[in-house]
Amino acid sequence: MGERQSAALDGVFNALCDPTRRAILARVARGDARVTDIASAFPISLNSISKHVRMLERAGLLRRSVNGRDHVLSLNAAPLATASKWIDTYERFWDTRLAALEQYVLNKTESRK
Amino acid sequence: MNASPASAAVVVRRTIAASAEVLFDAWLDPIAVAAWMRPGEILRTVATIDARVGGRYEIIMSSESHDYPTTGIYLEIERPRRLVFTWESAAKGPGIGETLVTVEFLAKGKATEIVVTHERLPDSARESHRAGWTSGLGKFEEYACRR
Repeated sequence: MGERQSAALDGVFNALCDPTRRAILARVARGDARVTDIASAFPISLNSISKHVRMLERAGLLRRSVNGRDHVLSLNAAPLATASKWIDTYERFWDTRLAALEQYVLNKTESRK
Repeated sequence: MNASPASAAVVVRRTIAASAEVLFDAWLDPIAVAAWMRPGEILRTVATIDARVGGRYEIIMSSESHDYPTTGIYLEIERPRRLVFTWESAAKGPGIGETLVTVEFLAKGKATEIVVTHERLPDSARESHRAGWTSGLGKFEEYACRR
């Protein structure tokens, strides 16, 4: 539970906060894909796709295997699950806390009447 | 507000039939906080609050067997519109990074909408075996990426 892991999780969130990168992940989630296949599915250059892919690799969300001239990408969902858990935990926490705040404030106003 | 584009955040909203002043004060009054900061299995909450910019707060939520302290510092106190504080929770073990909570109070007629934005993420979960990760992706679209 150190700073390095915290930084890693920040990397995951940064990687995910982009619609193109999320779309790349969604594509790879359906099955392993070559970088060139992914590039042809998006209306942007191979160069920009490569940059997005590298960022996803650095965040640990994609794995690359090289088979001759083919670079095949596969999904590594573990970091996403960790980040997702963070969201779930705090979303539930604040949601229930605001409900409790409402109850507290309304009870207080009620008892003053 | 847009200082850090696309930083990750959880955003939760709730409209409550009370004035912004009443709701705002309930965040800085230790007795109020002790009453509503009591999630799940927490039996008792004790809050210590130094309600000024740069002041520190400590909220200790106690279950039957554990104490879960959360501490932080108030960065902005603009009654009754906006409250910003750091949030460092020791609930999941030591070394968790500091995060940031922004609470906004928006007038909606006689009611007030509270918007809680919790960002700058800590390392919270050790490991998760959560499957269904594509639903996780949707989550990022909806909540996690602050524009």
